[in-house]
Amino acid sequence: MSEPVVGQRERRVAGRAAQPPSPGSVWRRPWLPYALLALPFAIYGTFVLYPLALTVRLSFYEWDGLTAPSFTGLANYVDLARDDTFVAALTHNGVFLIFYTVLPVALALGLTVLLTQEGAVRGLGVYRIGLFVPQVMPMVVVGVIWRWMYSPVDGAINELLGLVGIAATPFLGNAGTALPAVGLVASWVQYGFALVLFMAGVQSIDRSLYDAASVDGAGMWAKFRYITLPGLRGPIVVATTVSMIAALRVFDLVFVMTRGGPAQRTTVVAFEIYQRAFVLREVGGAAASATVLVVAILVLSRLVLRFQEAP
Amino acid sequence: MNDQGHRRRRIRMLSLLFAAGLALTACLPGGGDDEEASAGETAGAQTGGGQAGDPSQAGADELVVWDIYVRGTERDVAEQLTSEFEEEHGVTVTREPKNLDDLKATLPLAMGQDDGPDVASVNQGRADMGAIVAAGGLMDLTDFGREQGWFDTWGDNLLARNMFDESGEQFGTGNLYGVAPQAEIVGWFYDRDTFDEHGLEPPATFDELEQLLATLKDAGETPITFGNLDAWPAIHTYGAIEHTFVDTAYLNSLIFDGDVSFDTQENAQAAETLQRWADQGYFTENFSGIGYDDSWAQFAAGEGALLLTGSWIAGELDPEQVGFFLTPGDSAGALPPQTGGMGVPLAVRAGTDAPELARQYVAWMTSERAAELWAEAWLPSRTPAADAVADNPLMGELVGAWDQVLAEDQLGHYLDWATPTFYDALTAQLQELLADRTEPRAFVEALQDDYAQSSQG
Repeated sequence: MSEPVVGQRERRVAGRAAQPPSPGSVWRRPWLPYALLALPFAIYGTFVLYPLALTVRLSFYEWDGLTAPSFTGLANYVDLARDDTFVAALTHNGVFLIFYTVLPVALALGLTVLLTQEGAVRGLGVYRIGLFVPQVMPMVVVGVIWRWMYSPVDGAINELLGLVGIAATPFLGNAGTALPAVGLVASWVQYGFALVLFMAGVQSIDRSLYDAASVDGAGMWAKFRYITLPGLRGPIVVATTVSMIAALRVFDLVFVMTRGGPAQRTTVVAFEIYQRAFVLREVGGAAASATVLVVAILVLSRLVLRFQEAP
Repeated sequence: MNDQGHRRRRIRMLSLLFAAGLALTACLPGGGDDEEASAGETAGAQTGGGQAGDPSQAGADELVVWDIYVRGTERDVAEQLTSEFEEEHGVTVTREPKNLDDLKATLPLAMGQDDGPDVASVNQGRADMGAIVAAGGLMDLTDFGREQGWFDTWGDNLLARNMFDESGEQFGTGNLYGVAPQAEIVGWFYDRDTFDEHGLEPPATFDELEQLLATLKDAGETPITFGNLDAWPAIHTYGAIEHTFVDTAYLNSLIFDGDVSFDTQENAQAAETLQRWADQGYFTENFSGIGYDDSWAQFAAGEGALLLTGSWIAGELDPEQVGFFLTPGDSAGALPPQTGGMGVPLAVRAGTDAPELARQYVAWMTSERAAELWAEAWLPSRTPAADAVADNPLMGELVGAWDQVLAEDQLGHYLDWATPTFYDALTAQLQELLADRTEPRAFVEALQDDYAQSSQG
C-alpha cells in the first residue's frame, strides 16, 4: 500500500530536480493554472456540463415543458424499456453502426491501399477531392438528394436499374429496404472522412519499411497486415470513434428521408427524442432517452479508445 | 503505471466536473419549479386583467402578431389586410411570420411572457393549444365571439375544435380560444379531361365511386394519384373512407371525449376497403416510396384521374382543368361526414397590453372582406361574395362544398387528433395495412390499444 506512494513521491522529487530552475516558473504561482482554466471551465460548464446535468435531472421528472414538473423517479426509464418503438430505435442505431462505421472504415482502408500504390493511379488529386466531397455537403442536402434518387418516379437509381430490366422499387417505402437504403447514404457520406485520415496516416509511415519488407519477399497482403494496418492504428481509432458517435446520434438523414417510417422501421433514438420533446411534449421522457443515448456513446467511445492505448 | 495514474486522474477529474455540473443544477431545484409556477400564475392573473379590456393601457396602439403566412399569396393577403387594419384603427401592427414548426416550438413559452406576441397562430389540439391554455397563456374569446356572431357563422361543431375548458384538459368544449381565416376540406380533385375521355361524372354514391375507380383501372388509367412516403397522406385516404361508415357523433366522441372504442366493425370495414383498393391497384404504383409533393405534382402534370387530399392544394392546381367533389355516401343526397376544419386559428395572448385591439385584429382577419382576399389562393372559412371566386371555378366548387358541409353539419375530423400519440400509431398501422402486413381486424385492435392507453394517460 505505502510502497507505491513512496515511489511516486520519489519520482516527483526527481522530476522537479531535473527541471531547470527558471525564474517565473509556473510552480512559483500555484494558482496560475487554475486561473487559466477558469474561463474555459466557465464556458464548458455553462454550455455543456450544466445542460447535461439538467437533462439528467429532468429525466427523473414528468414535464410538459410548460406547467410545473413532477418528480417520478425512474418511471421514464421504465417506460422506455417497455416501449417497443424505443427499443426498435436503439436497434436501428445498432444497425447504423455497420453503415456508419464498419462499411466506411473497411472501404476507406481498401481505397487507401489502392490510392497509395506508387504510380498505380493517375490523377490522384482528383480522386482525393472527389471522394471527400460527400463529407463536405450538409446532411440535409444529402438527404434530400438521395430521397430524389431513391424515388420510384424518375429517381436516378430506379432509372438505372430500369436499364437492366429491374422494375422500379420504392426503396424508402418498403419495410425491408428502407433501413439499408438510409444506411448506405450514411456510408457514402462517412467513408470520405475516414479516407482523408488514412491517406494522411499512410504518408507518415516510413517508406523504408515497405522497401525492407519487399526485400524480405513480403507480398501486398503481408505489407498491409504488418505495416499499413499497425501504422494506421491512430487514424482508425479516430475514424471509428467519430463515425460511431455519428451513427448513434443520427437525426438529420432519417428526418429528411423517411421521418422514421415506414411504420417506424427507420426510427432512431435521436428522432424519438425529438418526437417526445417537441411533438408529444413529454420532456422528461425525451431527457431520459437523451441520457440513454449519452451513456451509450460514452461507453462505446471508451471501448474503442482502449485500442489506442494498447501497445 | 504512469499511464494508468494519468487515466485514473482524468476520470476523477471528469467525475468532478460532472458533479460540479450537477451541483449547479441542484442550486435551483426549488428555484426552477417556482419560476415555472409563477410564470403560470402571472399569466393567469393577466387573463383577468386582459378580460377587463382596457385599451387605454400603455402600448394599446401597437400589436405584435406571429402568424404562419410566410409565403406567396398568403403573405401578400396577410400584409394587405394588416395595412388596411392599421389605417382604419390608426395603429401599428408588426407581423412576424414564422413557419408552423417554429411556432409550435416557440409559442408555448412566448405566450407566458410579457413581451410575447399579442396575437398568434396557435395550432389546434391538446399538445399545442391545450398545453398553452393549461399554462394560462390564451385569452378566452367566447363572449367576444358571441358579439361577433362567430357561433352563428361557423356553428358549435366547427368552433369546438378551438375550444378547451380552462384547465386545457377537456378538448372540444368550454371556452373559445381562436378562429382561423382559412378552412380545410378533404375531398376528391379530379382531372376533367380524363373524366370526359371516359364519359365519367362525379359519383353520387359510394358504390358509384367504387365503380368509377374500377372503370378507370380497366381503362388503363391510374385511378388515384397517391404517395405515402410521408405517411400522413394515408390518414386522409383512410379518413375519407372511414367517415362514410360512421356519424359525426361518433367522431366527436373519438376526438374530444375518448369514451368510444376504435375497435369497431365500421372502422374495420373501412380498413378492409382501403386495403382492397390498394390490392386492386387503384393507387399510383410504388406509392409507398413517393412523397406527397411529388404525388400532387404528378397529378398537376396530368398523371392520374383523382387526387384525394385537402383544399390547401387548390392553389397549385389548374382551376379550369381540375374539379372537386366530396366523398359520397350510401345514397344520393345523404352527405356523410367529411374530414376538414379550420386552418390554424389566430388567438390572443392572455397577458396582452392591448386586448381589445388584438381581438379586433382577429375579427378583421376573419371578416368577409378578408374572405374575399383569401379566396384568391385558399379556401376561406367564411363564405366570400360570389364574384370573388367567379374567375376560379375550382375555388367556386370548394366554397360550395364547404358551405354544404357546414349547412348539413357534417364536418368530420382528422383522425390523428384523437390522442397525442395517435398520429404515430395511425400512420404506422396504415403503412402496414397498405403493404398487406396487417389485417383489418388487427389494424383496429392495435389502434384501439394505443387509443385506450393514451386516453387514460
